[in-house]
Amino acid sequence: MGEALTTRKALGRLLTIPSVRKGLWLTLVLAFLGTALNVAIPIIVQQTVDNEIVATGGPDISGTLVQGVIAMVFMVAAGFARRYSTLRLQATAARGLSDLRVQVFGHLHRMSALHVQSERRGSLVARVTSDIYRIQEFMGWGGMGMVIGISQLTLTVIAMLIYQWQLALLVVGGVTTYGAALFWFQRILGRAHDRVRERVADSMSALGESITGLPVVRAYGAELITSRRVRAAVDRQFDAEFRTYTLGSALFSSAEIFAGSLTAGVIGVGVLLGTGNGVTTGTLLAFVFLVNLLVQPVQTLVETLDSAQAAASGMRRVIGVLDTPVDLADPPNGRSLPDSDLDVSVSGLRFHYPTGGDVLTDVNVDIPAGSRVAVVGETGSGKTTFAKLVVRLLDATDGSIRIGGVPVDEISFASLRTRVAYVPQEGFLFDTTVAENVRYGRPIVADAGIAMAFADLGLRQWVDSLPKGLDTQVGERGAQLSAGERQLVALTRAWLSQPDLLVLDEATSAVDPALEVSLRRAIDRLIAGRTSITIAHRLSTAEASDFVLVFDEGRLVERGTHQELLAMNGVYAAMHADWAAGTSVL
Amino acid sequence: MSEQVSVRQIARDGAGLMSRFVRAHPIAFAIGVFGAANFAAAIVASAVVVGRVTDELIVPVLTDGEDVNGRITGAVLALLGISLWKGIGIVVRRTGATWMSGRNQADLRTQLVDHLLTLELSWFRRQSTGDLLAVSDSDANRATSVLGPFPFATGAVLLLFGSIGIIAFIDIPLALVSMVGLVGKVVIDVYGAKRIFPGFAEVQQRQGRASAVAHESMDGALTVKALGREQEETERFTRASEDLRDQLIHVARQFTFYDAVQDTIPALTTVLILIIGVVRVDAGVVTAGDLVAITYLLSLIAFPLRLIGFVLWEMSGSLAALGRVDRVLEITEEVTYGEALASTEATGARVESTGVSFSYESGDLVLEDVQFDIPAGKTVAVVGPTGSGKSTLVTLLARLWDPDTGVVHLDGRDLRDFARSALPGEVAFVGQDVFLFDDTVTGNIAFGINALQDEVEAAARLAGAHQFILELPEGYDTQLGERGTTLSGGQRQRIALARALARKPRLLILDDATSAVDPSVESEILAGLKRSELPSTVIVVAYRQSSIALADEVVFVEHGRIAAHGTHKGLLSHPGYARLLQAYERDAAERSAAEAADG
Repeated sequence: MGEALTTRKALGRLLTIPSVRKGLWLTLVLAFLGTALNVAIPIIVQQTVDNEIVATGGPDISGTLVQGVIAMVFMVAAGFARRYSTLRLQATAARGLSDLRVQVFGHLHRMSALHVQSERRGSLVARVTSDIYRIQEFMGWGGMGMVIGISQLTLTVIAMLIYQWQLALLVVGGVTTYGAALFWFQRILGRAHDRVRERVADSMSALGESITGLPVVRAYGAELITSRRVRAAVDRQFDAEFRTYTLGSALFSSAEIFAGSLTAGVIGVGVLLGTGNGVTTGTLLAFVFLVNLLVQPVQTLVETLDSAQAAASGMRRVIGVLDTPVDLADPPNGRSLPDSDLDVSVSGLRFHYPTGGDVLTDVNVDIPAGSRVAVVGETGSGKTTFAKLVVRLLDATDGSIRIGGVPVDEISFASLRTRVAYVPQEGFLFDTTVAENVRYGRPIVADAGIAMAFADLGLRQWVDSLPKGLDTQVGERGAQLSAGERQLVALTRAWLSQPDLLVLDEATSAVDPALEVSLRRAIDRLIAGRTSITIAHRLSTAEASDFVLVFDEGRLVERGTHQELLAMNGVYAAMHADWAAGTSVL
Repeated sequence: MSEQVSVRQIARDGAGLMSRFVRAHPIAFAIGVFGAANFAAAIVASAVVVGRVTDELIVPVLTDGEDVNGRITGAVLALLGISLWKGIGIVVRRTGATWMSGRNQADLRTQLVDHLLTLELSWFRRQSTGDLLAVSDSDANRATSVLGPFPFATGAVLLLFGSIGIIAFIDIPLALVSMVGLVGKVVIDVYGAKRIFPGFAEVQQRQGRASAVAHESMDGALTVKALGREQEETERFTRASEDLRDQLIHVARQFTFYDAVQDTIPALTTVLILIIGVVRVDAGVVTAGDLVAITYLLSLIAFPLRLIGFVLWEMSGSLAALGRVDRVLEITEEVTYGEALASTEATGARVESTGVSFSYESGDLVLEDVQFDIPAGKTVAVVGPTGSGKSTLVTLLARLWDPDTGVVHLDGRDLRDFARSALPGEVAFVGQDVFLFDDTVTGNIAFGINALQDEVEAAARLAGAHQFILELPEGYDTQLGERGTTLSGGQRQRIALARALARKPRLLILDDATSAVDPSVESEILAGLKRSELPSTVIVVAYRQSSIALADEVVFVEHGRIAAHGTHKGLLSHPGYARLLQAYERDAAERSAAEAADG
C-alpha cells in the first residue's frame, strides 16, 4: 500500500491524465483575461472621477463617450474569455474524470476475488464512482474558483500597487491576516464537516436498513423501534448540520465585517495620507472598490482548500484501486486450449488468502478427459476454492493446474472462458429478461438458440410457465425469480457455450429433487464425452459420478468411485450415511 | 420530468411547496426572511454611506483641499456599523434558513419511513429497493434544498426593488438605465436557468445510470469473470460514462454562456451609468457621491441577484423531487389491522386456510383455492416442486401478504383481525434471504423484543448458533450488519433462526431457512426444535428428506394447489409426491439397472 499520499500529490495525479493536461495553459490565460472584467470597474471609476468629474475645467463629454465605448468593448471581450476558460476547464474535468472512471472500472474487473470480496466490490465501485464525481466537481468548480481567485488577487494587488503603495500595503496586510484567520477557522469548520459526514452516513444507513430490511421489520412487528431508530439518526444528522452551518455562517459574515472594516480603514488612512502622497479622490474610490475584489477570492480560496482535501481523500481511494496490481491477468500471448477433450491435472496445489492460513494444502489429482467427477466435503472444506482455482477465478499460491496439458495461467482468457464454464451456487442475474441473461455469455445467439438450450436441459415447461416466457423480466439481481429458478437461468447460460469442461459449484442446490435429477441426466447426456466437475450438495450426484473427490479441512482426503469410498468406511462413508438417513423413506 | 418547465408553472407549484414547508416551521422561515431583509437594507445603506462619505469627506479633502476636521471618525463608525449590520443579517438569515431546510428534510425522511412501514409488502415487492432508497435519501434532500437559499432570494428581490428605488430617488434617468441593466440580468439569468435545468436533470439521470451499471456489474463480478465478459462490461460502462461526460459538457456550454452574459451585463451597465453620470454631474443634477453610491451599489448587488435565478432553478429540482416523495407518501396500500390481541396461552396455534387464492401483480394465479387445516402443536412440512407456490403460501400464513380471496385463520381468527402489534407475537417467519441489522448479535436476536441474555443464548443454542457466536471476536457483543463482521451464509441463517425462536412464537414458519447450513447441522437443528419445549406449531418449507422425515404431517403443493395432505408415508401413494421424493432412489435404481444391463 505505501504511505498515505499528501493532498498535493493525490490531486497532482490528476494532472498526469492526458486529457487533463491538454490545452491547460490556454485555459489559464483565458481565465486571467476574464478576471480583468472585474478589476476593470475600479480603474474605470478612478479614471472617470479624476479625469472628468472632479477635473478642473469640467468633463470632456465626447472623450468620456469614446473611452466608455472602448471599455465596453473590452468588457465584452473579457466576458468571452471568462466563458471559454470556464467551459474549457469544465469540459476538461468531465473528460479527464470519465477516463479515470472507466480506468477504475476496468481495473476492478481485472482484479481477482482475492483483493475485493465480490460482495464488497459493488459498494466499493459505487463509492469510487461518487468519489470521482466529487473530484470532477472540485476540478470544474473548485478549480475554476481557484484559478479566478488567484488571477483576481494578482490583478487587484497589481492595480493597488500601481495606484498607491502605502494603501496597497495596508490592504494586503489586512487581507493576509484575514486569510490566516480564515484558514485556522476553516480547520475547525472542517472537523465539524467531518462530523456532519459521519452523521449523514449514519442516518443513511439507518434509512437504508429500514427499507432493505422492511420485510424483516414487518415480520417481527418492529415498526416502532425501527421508526425510532431512524428518527434518532435523522435528528442527530440535523443537529450536526445545524451547528456546523450556523458556525459556517460566521465565516460569511466575517467576510462582510472584515471588508467593511478594511473599507473604513482605507478611507481613513487615504484621507490622512492626502494628495501629497498621491491619493486622489479617484484613487481612493478605486481602493474602496478594489477591497471588495480581494475579500471574496480569499474566502473562495480558503473554502476551495477544504474541498480540495475532500477531493484528495477521494483521489486516494481511486489511486488505491488503480495501484493494486492486477493479479489475475489475461496472459500476454496466451495459449489456446487444444482441440481435443480436456483433462485436468493438479499437482502440489496450495492456496491461502493474503491473511489467514491455508484453505487448500497439497492437492494432487488427475481428472481424465471425459470423466464426470463429483467433489464433496463439509462447508469450509475448500471444495469451492478448488473449483475457482481450476477455472482460474483465483490463482494458486503454490503448485500447478493444467487443463488439456496447458498450465491454466498460460491459457488466454478468450480460450479459457469459452471452453471452460463455471456455474456458481449464486449465479448473478442482470436486471433484464430471461433471454438476455442467458445470452449474456454468447451475445450472438438468437432467441431460437436460447429456447433450444432450455429445451436441451428439459426446462421448456418451466420457461412456458413464466408470465412472458423468455421475455420475462427477472428484476434486480433476479429478485423476481426464486433461488432455484435463478439457478436454472445461470445453468442454461453456461450450457449455451457448449463447454468442454463444465464446473458446477452447487449449481442446482435450490432446485427440487425431481428437477435436479432430470437436470443432471440431461447434462450427462449432453456433455457425454466431455469433462465435468460437480461440487455436490446432495450425495446423489456423487453416486452417479465416475469418481468422487472428498475434501476435508483443505485436504483431498479420499478419492474413488462411490462404491469404493463406501467400502473405505471413512469420511465419505460417514457423510453418505448422514445424507442417506435424511433421504431414506421412513 | 417535463422538458418544458415554464417559469409561471414553477412559481405556482413552488408557492405550494413553500407554503407546505413554511407552515411546518413558520418561525424559522420568518427569522430567515427577516435576516435577509436586513442584509438587503444594509447593502443599500452601505452604498448610500459610501456616497455620503465621498461627498462630505473624500471630495472636500482630496479635491477641494479642505481640512479633515475630525470628519473621519463619523465616516469610519458609519461604515463599521453598517458592515456589522450586514454580518448580523447574514447570521440571522442562515440560522433561520438552515433550521427550516434541515428540519423539513428530517421530517420528510421520518414521514417516508413511517409511511413505508405501514404499507403492504406486496406493494413493496413491486418497487425497486434502489428507487425507494433514492427517494428517502437524495429526493428528500433535493425536495428541501430550495429552502436554504429561499430567504436569500427573497432578500434579493427586496434588494432589486430597494436599489432601483434609491437610485430613482437620486436621479430618474440613471434609475432607468440601472433598471434595464438589473432587470435584464435577472431575466436572462432566469431564462438561462430554465434552459439549463432539463440538462442538469439529465446529468443526474446519466450519473445514476452510470453508477447503476457499475454497481450491477461489480455485484456480478464473479459471473462476469466466469463468462469472460470483462471487456464487454468495460465497454458497457464506458458508454454510460461517456454519455455522462457528453451531457456534462453540453450543460457546461449552456451554463458558461449565460453565466458570462449575466456577469458582463452589470459591468456594462456600470460603464453606461458612469458615462451618463458624467453628463448629469456636469449638469449639476447629481453629485459625485451620488454617482459613486450608484456604482458601488451595482457592484454589491450583482451576486445576490443571482440567487433569484438560482432559486427558480433549484425550485424546479425540488418540485420534481418532492413529486417523487409524494408519490410514495400518497400510496394508500396500507396494511389494515383489527383489534384482536395475542393469546396468552403458551401452546401452538391452529392454522387454517380457506379458499385462498393469490397472484402477483397482474400475473397468473400462484395459489388457487388453497384449503387446509393444521392442528395446534404439529410440525408440518410443505413440499412441492420448484415454482409450485409453497413459499408464497407460507408468507400468507405469516400475513406478510394478504390473499386475494379466501381467509387464513389462526386459532379460528382471521389474520386480518389481529391488532398491529399482536401478530408478530404469535407468528415468527424466517425466510431464505437473511437480513441482519447494524447491531450486535444480541441486538439482532432480541430484535424488537425485551429478552434476557439467557433467553437470547437459549434461542441461539436451539438454532445451532451458540457455538460459533462464542468464537466471534466479541461473542454476543460482536457488531453485525453492513459494516460489521462478515458471517457465512449458514451462520447468518442460524442467527435469523435464533431471532425467530427468541420470540417463543406460537406459530413458527421456516421457508427454506436453513438452505446454507450443512445437512448434518440442519438435521440437528430440526431435531432439536422438535425435542424442545417450544410452544409452537412449526411449518417448514422442506427441500431435504431429513426435514420431511421430522414432520408430523406433509402438505404437498403442486401448481398452486394443495395436491395432497397427510403423513409422509400416506402421501407416497400420490404419484407426484412419490416422483419428487423418490427421485434419488429411482435415479439410483435406474442407474444400477442400466449398469447391470451394460455389464
